[in-house]
Amino acid sequence: MTTLLSRPVEAGHRTGARSGRRIAVTVAAALVLLLTVLASFALGSRQLPVDQVWHALVSPDGGEASTIVRELRLPRTALGLVVGVALAVAGVLLQALTRNPLAEPRILGISAGASFGVVLAISVFGVSTLAGYVWFGIGGAFLAGLLVFAVAARTREGASPVTLALVGAALDASLGSVVYALLSTDVHTFESYRFWVVGGLTGRDLSVAVQVLPFLLAGLVLAALVARGLDALALGDDVARGLGNRIGLVRLGGGVAAVLLTGAAVAAAGPIAFVGLAVPHLARALVGADHRWTLAVSALLGPALLLGADIVGRLVDPPSEVPAGIITALIGAPLLAILVRRAKVVTA
Amino acid sequence: MTAPSRDRTVAATAGEPVVTPSVAARLPGRSLLRLGPLSLQIRRRSVLVAAVLVVLLAVAFVLSLSLGTPYVAPADVLHALSGAGTPYDLVVLDLRLPRVVLAAVAGAAFGVAGTLIQSVARNPLASPDVIGITQGAGLAATVALTSGAAAVVVAPAALAGGLVAAVVVLALGARHGLAAQRFVLAGVAVAFALRALTEIVMITAEAIDGQRAQIWLVGTLAGKGWAEAAWIGGALLVLLPVLAWAGWALNSSALDDDTARGIGLRPVARRIGLAGAGVLVAAMVTAQVGAVDFVALVAPQVARRLVRSERPPLVCAALLGALLLVLADLAGRRLFAPTQLPAGVLTAAIGGPYLMYLLLRGRKRSS
Repeated sequence: MTTLLSRPVEAGHRTGARSGRRIAVTVAAALVLLLTVLASFALGSRQLPVDQVWHALVSPDGGEASTIVRELRLPRTALGLVVGVALAVAGVLLQALTRNPLAEPRILGISAGASFGVVLAISVFGVSTLAGYVWFGIGGAFLAGLLVFAVAARTREGASPVTLALVGAALDASLGSVVYALLSTDVHTFESYRFWVVGGLTGRDLSVAVQVLPFLLAGLVLAALVARGLDALALGDDVARGLGNRIGLVRLGGGVAAVLLTGAAVAAAGPIAFVGLAVPHLARALVGADHRWTLAVSALLGPALLLGADIVGRLVDPPSEVPAGIITALIGAPLLAILVRRAKVVTA
Repeated sequence: MTAPSRDRTVAATAGEPVVTPSVAARLPGRSLLRLGPLSLQIRRRSVLVAAVLVVLLAVAFVLSLSLGTPYVAPADVLHALSGAGTPYDLVVLDLRLPRVVLAAVAGAAFGVAGTLIQSVARNPLASPDVIGITQGAGLAATVALTSGAAAVVVAPAALAGGLVAAVVVLALGARHGLAAQRFVLAGVAVAFALRALTEIVMITAEAIDGQRAQIWLVGTLAGKGWAEAAWIGGALLVLLPVLAWAGWALNSSALDDDTARGIGLRPVARRIGLAGAGVLVAAMVTAQVGAVDFVALVAPQVARRLVRSERPPLVCAALLGALLLVLADLAGRRLFAPTQLPAGVLTAAIGGPYLMYLLLRGRKRSS
């Protein structure tokens, strides 16, 4: 019962008006995403009017506007879409699986594991294609997740939200420094991955987004399959079992999905923080705790937030750019502070 | 944290002798030092540990001066240090010595800062580099470095930044008490935001200023020396009376507030004083050497385990911090030579696992 009360929004679950509101919210979220995508094409150090963007996309003429749109802004927008969806959905899954409002790939150290895997693949094993090192990213994410949970479960407070986050932060710090050490021993790699380490959408070509797509789709299908099970999981293991859910299977499916999504997103864009924290909370506030809706709305708002952060990063100080990962950290860290302040957070 | 439940019962008696020294003489493992009106009780084990640490620090010091390209034999290092005028004077005295001295001084300062803040918060995780104070100093220093302000401004700016960050973290996280891990997590969040802000400042700055700030931010001792060491040493000297008082006051800061009030102490004022001194030292040293992570976290706790005391010992923590940073800097220079790693990378790589270890040990704590 306590877990039920500790969920943010649970009341009003059965009312009919609710589903109308949910559809409206989802449509609005889709519109927001559409507008953000348009803005991502139009805004930057060189502002382009919408009709020029449209023209460049539909019938490229090789002019300046069409080169900017197709060569520079299309790849980063596509990457932002893919990575934003992946991180937001991974955040929803992790928060549901751990019943922990602070769960997020970066906070739990899973992103750090993924970036460690990727850097290891690049600098030690000499893997240079994304298709190659994405597997290292996924493996690293998996191992880091296991390690964080194993350590947190053995602490005095058990795997409580606060201990999980602290263990994750510790892992993030130490793996981050090892990544830096590996990169800085090799000047060439360091130059090309300096911005990747911070997390951003710049300097990737379209093929990166395309290569990540299969992992994203696999993760999304798995997430959709376990959505109902996650609802039951929120009621506690015993209730979930009593309702006829196979919680082991739900956990496995959700966990695999979260690791796939995080590993692929980090391999593509670096360890971008807090998208997976902020978006699920926003989605829950808008549509309640039903995971089918939370997942859908998060998948729409995640890329909107990430692309929004990318656009802000472009506009802060043109022509130089602030990587999107820094902007999301700036937005997300206050949210983390607010969540920590709230009495509800501590369960264990 | 070793055998905490036993230590806790000791603590109740250990606090009292500060006020009534006659009892202290009878405590096992302690000696009483009287100098006229002053009396000081000394743990014999602390003295022993401190002595061992001094020896180790001396060894690390000489090693650090001798290893590198070119290699200088330890005997020659000692010879050069004695001022005899050897052919190695340039390498040892001019190139290596400033940096090693800086490492020792900065490490000691980190150890002191960590001890003060951890003791006040009664929380081993509440070290300045975990809860955002270092990052606040870092942000302010980066702004100062990149805005073309005079070099004199950097240190005071960092100080102000550290203090502001400390106030913000307190405001955000103190609601449930400083001992709670929630407070630490609020600090982690603040640290995240401050680091992001710092990176924005760096990226938007002029390329050359940005690079300077980037190098500064990683926490490296490369290219630094006497000037920085003098700043930190000066700050420690100015704060020496405060630190001496702190060494005494820390004894009773482990008491709970009611007990402390009962024996006539003013716990709140004393805690503000101790924490203020800690933040000051942390900000000061960060302003000079950058964000060298985790020394302030690790040194006090390891020192505490070595001394087997209830609270982190100030002197031993300072010595251990110095030893850690000298070794980290040496490892950073030599491990991947000729590539130099910033000392901050090494300390973070050691500190992260240690933080996890602290969390694991936490479950055995009685309170």
